[in-house]
Amino acid sequence: MSYFIELVASGLAIGAIYGLVAMSFAVIYKATGIVNFAQGEMGMLTAYTSWTIATTLGTDAVTTVLVAVVAGAILGLVCERLIMRPMLGEPVLSVVLVTVGLAVVLRSLVTMIWGAAPHKFAIGGADTILQIGGIGVRASQLTVIAVLLLAIAGFWFFLQHSRFGVAMRAVAADEKTARLMGISTARVQAVAWAAASGLAGLAGAFFAVIYGLAPTIFEIGLKAFPATVLGGFDSVLGSAASGLIIGVLENLVGGYLPSTLKEIAGFVLILVVLMVRPFGLFGEKRIERV
Amino acid sequence: MNLRLTAVALGLLALGASLPAAAQQGVTDTEIVIGDILPLTGPPALLGVAHNVGVKAAVAEANAAGGINGRKLRLISEDDGYVPSRTIQGVRKLVNSDKIFAFTSISGTAQAQAAMQLIRQSGLPAMAPITTYEGLYKPTIKNVFAVGYDMREAVYEMIVQMADRYPGKKWAVISQDDDYGQNVRDGFERAAKEKKLQVVSSQVFKKGQSDFSSEILKVKQSGAEALMAGGVLGENVTMVKELERIGHKIPVGVTYVSRVPASAKMMGTAGENVYTVDYVYLETSPEAKDFMAKLDKHLSPEERGKVNRYTFTGYSAARALFAAMDKCGKALTAACTIAELEKLKNLETGAMTPVSFSANDHLAAPKLFLMKADPASVSYKLVK
Repeated sequence: MSYFIELVASGLAIGAIYGLVAMSFAVIYKATGIVNFAQGEMGMLTAYTSWTIATTLGTDAVTTVLVAVVAGAILGLVCERLIMRPMLGEPVLSVVLVTVGLAVVLRSLVTMIWGAAPHKFAIGGADTILQIGGIGVRASQLTVIAVLLLAIAGFWFFLQHSRFGVAMRAVAADEKTARLMGISTARVQAVAWAAASGLAGLAGAFFAVIYGLAPTIFEIGLKAFPATVLGGFDSVLGSAASGLIIGVLENLVGGYLPSTLKEIAGFVLILVVLMVRPFGLFGEKRIERV
Repeated sequence: MNLRLTAVALGLLALGASLPAAAQQGVTDTEIVIGDILPLTGPPALLGVAHNVGVKAAVAEANAAGGINGRKLRLISEDDGYVPSRTIQGVRKLVNSDKIFAFTSISGTAQAQAAMQLIRQSGLPAMAPITTYEGLYKPTIKNVFAVGYDMREAVYEMIVQMADRYPGKKWAVISQDDDYGQNVRDGFERAAKEKKLQVVSSQVFKKGQSDFSSEILKVKQSGAEALMAGGVLGENVTMVKELERIGHKIPVGVTYVSRVPASAKMMGTAGENVYTVDYVYLETSPEAKDFMAKLDKHLSPEERGKVNRYTFTGYSAARALFAAMDKCGKALTAACTIAELEKLKNLETGAMTPVSFSANDHLAAPKLFLMKADPASVSYKLVK
C-alpha cells in the first residue's frame, strides 16, 4: 500500500506541473479559440529568465516565483501584441502554424542566449526533503502542488465572479455578440495570453527547480497537451485536474508495468476518453477543433 | 592509325607518370585545412562545443609553435545539430567544397553511421573522439581512428570494480531505449554474468523522459542495493535525486558521458554515492595541470567557460592527428598520415591516458580510472 501511495504522491508532483501548463493551453483556447503550440517553449524561456534573475540578484524563493509569473505574463503580452494580433482574422490553421513557428524560434533563442549546458536552479530550501506520513517529498514538489491548487481556486473565482472573467467567458461563448455588447475582445485576448504565459512560466520555473534547467524543458508542453485534451480545451479547471490525473496515471503505469509504457500512458488515456467523450472529461459539447 | 593513337596514349601516360603527384587536398605551401562536424547547437552542444574548444586549443598550440612543418593549420567547423542528414550535408561540404585535409571529429553515433560511407570514400584521415561505437573500428576502416573507450567495455569495467567494492549486493539497471542504452545493458549484463551478480530489477525508459520517480521506487521495491543508472546526464541526476528523496542511499554507477561539471553540481548532496569510470584526466589532477595552463593560454574567457571532459578528448584526438601529420614532413599526404597514425604508440597528450593505434586496431582504448562524485567540491575525485 505504501508503494501505491508513494507512486500517487510523486505522480501528483509532476502532474501539478502538467496541470499548470494544461491550464495555460486552455486559457488561451477559451479566449481566442487558438491552440498555442509554443506554450512549453514560453515556460522554458520564462524558466531561463527567472534563473538569470535569481542567480544575478540572489532572490529568495517567493520572489523568484513572482518573477516567473511576471516574466511569463510580459512574454505572453509581447507575443500577443507582436505576433498574434497581426494574425487576427486570418484562418485558424495559419494562426496555429504561427505558434508552431514561434515554438521553434523560442527554442533556438534559448540555446543562443544561454547555451545548451544544463544548470542547477537552486533557490531557497527547494531541495529540502520533508517527511509527510512517512513519505519523503521535496519542498519544491509540495509547493508546486499548492501553487496549482491556488491557481485553480484563483481562476475559478476570476472566471465566475470578476467582470473580466465574465467578459472572457462571453468572448469564448460568442465573440461577435460579446463585441456588440461593448467587450474589447483584443483586451480580453491580451489578458488571456498574459495569464496563460504566467501559468506556463510558473510550470517552467518549478520544472527547472525540480529536474534541472536545460533546453529540453519545452517538452513539458508536449507532456501537458494530453491533459488539456483530456480535460477539454475549453475547460481551464478541468485541464488542471487532468494534469494531476495524467501525472498519477503515468507513475502508476511506470510503477506496475514496464517503464517504456509510462511515456505513452497519457496518450492512451486520451484515446480512450475521446472515443467516449470527444469534447474531453470537462469540456462543452459544441467545441470546435482544429 | 590505331597504332599511332596507341603510341600517343602511351606517350601521354608516360608524361603523366613523370609529372609530380597531384597536390594533396587541403594542403598548400603555407596552410593545412582541417575540419570537424559536430553538434554546436541543440542540447548535445554541451559536448560538441566543448570538443570544438579542445580542437581549437590544439590548433592554436600548433600554430603558435610555427605550424606543422611550416604550414599553419586552419579549422573549419560544421554544425550538424546532432541530425544525421545534416551530418551528411556537412561532410559533403567539408570534403568537396572546403576541401579539407582531415577530420578532427565526425559527430555522434547515428551521425557517424549515416556519414560513414562518404567519409570512407573520401579516404581522408578522420578522428572519432565523440562516439566510439563499434562500427568505427570493427572491422577496421582504413582512414577512421576512434579515440576513447568502447561504452560497453567502460560499463563492464565500472560494474566489475563496483562489484568488488560492494560485494554481495543486489543490483538494478535502468537504461535508455536506444543504441546508447543497449551498450549500457550489454556492458552491465556481461559484468553481472562474470561477477555472478543478483540482478533484481531491469528497466528501460523512453529517451527524453524527465521524471524517474516510479522507476526509482521500483528499484527500492525490488530490494536492489546498487544501481547502474544508464541515462545520459539529466536522467542520471534525476535518478540519484529521487534515491535521496526516498532515503534509499545505494551506490550508483553512471557512464563517463555524465562526467561533466554540471552533473556533480546538479546532483549536489544526492551524488555522494555516485561512481563513474573515465580515461580523461580530472581537471584538478596533477596530470592535467599543464593542459589546463595551455587552455588558459590559447582560449578566450568565453571558450574557457565551455570546457569539460570533451575538451580533453577533442584536444587529444587533434594532437594524435597532428603528431602523425608532423611525421610525414613536407610531403604531407592522407596516405602517409594514416600510415603514421597506425604507428602511433603511447602518445602523451597531457589530457588523457596515452593514445595508441596499430594497423589492426583503430581504437585508442586508454586506461580507465574509477571516480566518485564529491558533493563538497562539486566535482569527481579519483578512487584509490
